[in-house]
Amino acid sequence: MKKLLKSALFLAVASILVLFSVAAKVGDAAPDFTAADSNGQQHHLASYKGKYVVLEWHNQGCPYTKKHYESGNMQRLQQEWTAKGVVWFTVISSAPGAQGYVTAGQENDYLKKMHASPTAVLLDPEGTLGHLYAAKTTPHMYIIDPNGTLIYNGAIDDHPTSDASDIASSKNYVSTALQESLSGKPVSEAATRPYGCSVKYKD
Amino acid sequence: MQIPRRILVLILLLTSSFASLAQRINAKHAQLELVSQQSAAVPDGRLWLGVHFILEKGWHIYWVNPGDSGQPPVFQWQLPPGFVAGALQWPRPEKMQHSQMADYGYHDETLLLLPVQTPRQAPKTQRINIGAEAKWLICREVCIPDHAHLQLSVPVAASADDDPKVAPLFIRTKQLLPKPLPTAWRAKAESRGTEIVLTLTTGKSIASAEFFPLEENQIESGAAQAVSAKPMGMQITLQKSDQLLHPISRLKGVLVVSGKAYGVDAPVTGQ
Repeated sequence: MKKLLKSALFLAVASILVLFSVAAKVGDAAPDFTAADSNGQQHHLASYKGKYVVLEWHNQGCPYTKKHYESGNMQRLQQEWTAKGVVWFTVISSAPGAQGYVTAGQENDYLKKMHASPTAVLLDPEGTLGHLYAAKTTPHMYIIDPNGTLIYNGAIDDHPTSDASDIASSKNYVSTALQESLSGKPVSEAATRPYGCSVKYKD
Repeated sequence: MQIPRRILVLILLLTSSFASLAQRINAKHAQLELVSQQSAAVPDGRLWLGVHFILEKGWHIYWVNPGDSGQPPVFQWQLPPGFVAGALQWPRPEKMQHSQMADYGYHDETLLLLPVQTPRQAPKTQRINIGAEAKWLICREVCIPDHAHLQLSVPVAASADDDPKVAPLFIRTKQLLPKPLPTAWRAKAESRGTEIVLTLTTGKSIASAEFFPLEENQIESGAAQAVSAKPMGMQITLQKSDQLLHPISRLKGVLVVSGKAYGVDAPVTGQ
């Protein structure tokens, strides 16, 4: 009985710690998670150790997300990096009824229509994964290295506008970070201010 | 007595030549106009311009540091030769909390100010034209980027009074601009682990204050700011942003104390 109580207490404390941890700091271990994708499959971050993982927060109605999708920029990035073995998760943390919320079926239709090819789209209407990473905007980008360390947290590029014409002259922070890390260099700009619409969390 | 039509037209022409001609434009969930505090541009003087935003209920635009999301309005100014614009001046913002995040901006109405130095020699024309290409983001539960061309025609004169139509708006707004700290006051900041503690010494105990960081990515916008009153002032504890990877040497922002906004630029000591 004592052992059971001890385990229960431990679990309670541990879960409280998880709830209050704002733990998405570059250089630290990326917070572990298990989340379901738009095909009903579960993805456990820890099982991707040995690979780079990109997290892309997404809201298809947000003008900043549209900038990167209507231009094909995000799709190009997804294709380029998944072809190089990077795992790319698009994450949707919009609450039901809020802009960006989609059912699994709607998201799969969107992916086909936009020719998007992330490894999977993680559906997070409760906002659990969003809050775990303190995702603020759409887009908001994170990169986890093969050791499970967070090596990038921030904006997709250096032109915080909703203007697709800015993409050509923009420095893409995600590609730069992946290129640097893959060639054994430290990431030169590891934490930038993410730009976009606020993530539409459940309140 | 009926005023002859010719006289009426003459009166209209005369009064319009002495007035600034602003155009209020309709935008998405907002109206904008470019206005001037003074009724004319006086050579070797100062002309205060303002971009007046009138927002539909519930909609907001952003401060120079928008906070966790959003983007501030930006302007490209078109001024006549010899007219030199100073820095855009922002009234103190509101903090808009949502979930665990916060943005900084304005609801209902705001005026962003631009001081303009006029040339020593009067322009040859009787009126000057000022333009601005404005781009901004307006949000409520969704965000809409928008843009407009704003225009203002201002007469040139040897002297000018304030334009009574807009002077009250300028005066109200100028009271909301952050002022320099009084010379007797001291502000210093100390980095302590995940926090930055800002100490303000004024000579009197202060119970409440609010700090708006000027630079992005330094202070966690959505975090609570603990204020503790001290005999000679107060201390406010700010949470560092998770994105702050390197020490900062100065903390810049707007501190609101007893309803008044002050500009702070304090050295930061510690780790």
